[in-house]
Amino acid sequence: MIDNTKCECGHQNPVDTILCESCGKPLDPNDTLEDMTLPLEMRYDGVARRSQKANPNVLDRIWNFFSSVKVAIYLILITLIVSSLGTIYPQQSMFIGKMDFDTYYKENYGWTGSVYHFLGLSNTYDSWWFRGLLVMIGASLIICSLDRILPLYRALSKRAIRKHPTFLLRQRLRLDTQTIQGENISNFVPLLEKRNYRVYQEEGVLLAEKNRFSRWGPYINHIGLIIFLIACLLRSMFAYSLDFYAVQEGETKPIADTGYYMKNEDFNVTLHPDGKTVKAYVTKSILYKCVDNCDSPGKLPELKEVARHDIRINDPLKYRDLSLFNVDYDVTPSIIGANVQLTNLVTNAGIGKFKIDLFKPQEQYKVKDYVLDVMAYYPEVDLKDGKFFTKSTQPKAPAFVFLIKGPDMPAEGQVYLYFIRPIDKATYNQDLINERTGSKVKLEIGNMQDVSISEYTTYFNVTKDRTMPYIWVGAAISMIGLIMGFYWHHRRIWIQIEQGRLLLGAHTNKNWYGFRKEIAAVLNQSGVIQPLDDQQLINEVKQS
Amino acid sequence: MNLLTLSNTGFIVAIFGYIFSFVAFVIAITGQRFSKGDVITHTKRWSRRGIALTFFGLAAHLTYFISRWIYNHYPNSNLFEFMAMLAMLITVAFIVLYMIFKSPYLGAFAMPISFFMMAYASVFPWETKPLIPALQSVWLYVHVTTAALGEAFFAIGFAAGLMFLLRTINYHSKEKKDIKEQRGMELVMISFVIFLGFIIAVFGFRATGYEAKFIASPVASLSESAATEEIIYNLPPIFSPTGGKLVAMDSFLGIDKPVMESPSFFKGVNAARKLNTVVWSLFVGFVLYIVLRLLVRKPLGLTLQPLVRGLNPEDLDEISYRSIAIGYPIFTLGALIFAMIWAEIAWSRFWGWDPKEVWALISWLFYSFYLHVRLSRGWQGSYSSWLAVIGFIVIMFTLIGVNLVIAGLHSYAGV
Ligand code: HEM
Repeated sequence: MIDNTKCECGHQNPVDTILCESCGKPLDPNDTLEDMTLPLEMRYDGVARRSQKANPNVLDRIWNFFSSVKVAIYLILITLIVSSLGTIYPQQSMFIGKMDFDTYYKENYGWTGSVYHFLGLSNTYDSWWFRGLLVMIGASLIICSLDRILPLYRALSKRAIRKHPTFLLRQRLRLDTQTIQGENISNFVPLLEKRNYRVYQEEGVLLAEKNRFSRWGPYINHIGLIIFLIACLLRSMFAYSLDFYAVQEGETKPIADTGYYMKNEDFNVTLHPDGKTVKAYVTKSILYKCVDNCDSPGKLPELKEVARHDIRINDPLKYRDLSLFNVDYDVTPSIIGANVQLTNLVTNAGIGKFKIDLFKPQEQYKVKDYVLDVMAYYPEVDLKDGKFFTKSTQPKAPAFVFLIKGPDMPAEGQVYLYFIRPIDKATYNQDLINERTGSKVKLEIGNMQDVSISEYTTYFNVTKDRTMPYIWVGAAISMIGLIMGFYWHHRRIWIQIEQGRLLLGAHTNKNWYGFRKEIAAVLNQSGVIQPLDDQQLINEVKQS
Repeated sequence: MNLLTLSNTGFIVAIFGYIFSFVAFVIAITGQRFSKGDVITHTKRWSRRGIALTFFGLAAHLTYFISRWIYNHYPNSNLFEFMAMLAMLITVAFIVLYMIFKSPYLGAFAMPISFFMMAYASVFPWETKPLIPALQSVWLYVHVTTAALGEAFFAIGFAAGLMFLLRTINYHSKEKKDIKEQRGMELVMISFVIFLGFIIAVFGFRATGYEAKFIASPVASLSESAATEEIIYNLPPIFSPTGGKLVAMDSFLGIDKPVMESPSFFKGVNAARKLNTVVWSLFVGFVLYIVLRLLVRKPLGLTLQPLVRGLNPEDLDEISYRSIAIGYPIFTLGALIFAMIWAEIAWSRFWGWDPKEVWALISWLFYSFYLHVRLSRGWQGSYSSWLAVIGFIVIMFTLIGVNLVIAGLHSYAGV
């Protein structure tokens, strides 16, 4: 049903070309060569094109398959239909975390949902068959370009000026008329040149041509698409991405598998005057690269600052191929640091204060003559089988076991259990336990100014990949091709004058209407023939 | 006069500007009957008036746009603003095509798209709202505006494709292919009347101040303050929200209870109300269609056919193709490339397979399909005009249907 306009010689002609632009053969299969004597120079006698080979082998068949526009049309159509099926119900990728999708689709969408999930449509765009379609389009693009670029080059660079009169008269726009004056064909030259045509002349014949480059548009567009598709494929295979990477205010946290760490120094939200809608949020961030002790547990990694940026929505932190995007935030008030007071229980006199960073406590603290060794730290303390353990690395319920040495204390030191939050203190009976060990000192926090609170957690999406530039390059090339192909049109006019008879044939790949008007204007301005209406140029015997 | 009043006035004036320009174009093409003098001068004179009125409407429309922009932000943040912009760009696309082809016929078919689009836009809430952070990006505006411009050219391609079909469909034939085309055209006409039905239903009931109030069932509601979520209907509820409780309802023709509850697979607070709106639009649309059919006593397509008699079908095919060919690169740039740039900056992924994105891709693939099909013999003219018509339906689904039916990141609040 879809009829090809590719000529036997392999050249892809625009629709309604009557004679192949490359070889001059009539494109209508019922039109025999005998009807017309073709000028010799029009015959395309180049190397047989791969897709036109007789007796194709398997490889040739594959080649032919992918180089056909018909197949491309079906591929595009199938991709289109399959893509639309994927939008019927939400895709699995829209959900974060692990889920039981079987039940999800069944419960939410009934049996249709079950079928949808069963058919794999709930994961359309990541499926092998969808990828396969894209790969096939890519293959088709590559092969059709390889198959056609050379013949097009030949067809376009061949500029025989003198054509057989039949060639002219069988064009879609044509004219056969008597001149009224000015046998000289040069009369047309200034008029055509004024319209940016390049004019090639021979005795009594003329070829005017413009915007030949636009014929390359589709191919450049296709090459851009190829680059784009390859880049996407590479990206889907190699790019690193980490979603909803949560960093609390004040926290420095490794970005898994990258060797980078990021610090959320400060987070701020501003609201619109209505007091409800969020206007903006910004995370002051620092990016570190780990330079030493990166994978040795027990030792603190050594970090070097490499970048610093105020990350907002629409304004990520970028360093080399790494990007950090703010995607969301949460209000998660928690203590992240404390200024702890050490007090002598006997004299009840304050000894001094020391600062604990709850994300990164030191191994030892010194206050005057006292030394406090951190024996254990539980950021989120809990009790199980009579033992303390931590539920996470977030300082949600921080607890310490210190070994304190100092004046009036046993030489081997004294164990001291310390909970930062008053509520944990009470739950775990801190004071009672410490009293039992006969502690001579006490740790406490004086007032609210002595604790640093983090209010927010920011969520980032992290990506690290090198393919993005190629994606943009592909898109840009594509765009250039489209602009070339759609906003300029290749136009050719052949004119011959012989003994008072003017023959004209004209061809373009697009915008026949404008072309017709242009030719009519040139003819009428030249005064060589009787004024005519542009409709007279239309070839009535156009075959379809 | 403050900026917002100026803006709103501009909007109304633009609608009338477009309606008058439509009338002028219609007089230009049908005027042989009215004109005393020579037909060509008559057509020329009224075409000139038509295009002048188009420019006048566009100037008013720009006034709306710019003053609203200054007043608040780039007017592109809700469905009203988007549709209003699309209508403006359709006018721009029409002017471009008019400059090339000088066809008053095109005006008679393109201008209605503009003003009906505006009427449609004005159904949605006009008030401006503060923007959430993700929407505060220059790239977003560049993306939406460029995409809309591409779509505007597709709209003109649609208009010309429709003209081609009206011109060429053989209403006197009983051949299978012709019957199919006649039915297809009538289906397009019916869709159009249903679209009108929607506008009429909404404005009709708004004029009477109709209201019915429900409390959403906690299950149906997605927000946290589930218990107190109110759902207000401005059209009499045929379908009440699933599990929703009626609070108050104006009686309509003596009916003071919802006719039925919507099926349980309509999830989300607004789903049932949307269903109700769709049912009303269909209802009003069909009544309107029947009335029209009774008035003219023949298919609507056949009624319009005389308007385009005497036009050269090849030129219509060319206009349609040209418009799509102009629009295609712009659409590619706006709906895909700029969208990717924005998504990359805002969401860290240039492509996320969000339904709206997928539908933009589908529209683009559809027009790619159209262009490739035209490379084949025998597919220009009638087939490709049908594709131009279907293509625009795909575009409208992407713009409106996706929001109505499938919710995603891009959702606007809607009726
Ligand atoms: C999604 C994928 C594709 C897109 C977006 C695309 C886009 C385009 C565009 C915009 C044109 C110009 C049409 C015109 O000038 O009217 C074109 C032409 C063409 N395309 Fe594609 N194309 C795609 C895939 C393919 C494939 C897979 C093939 C393989 C056979 C193909 C073969 C052609 C050919 C032969 C032409 C005509 C070139 C000429 O005028 O010399 N296209 N394509």
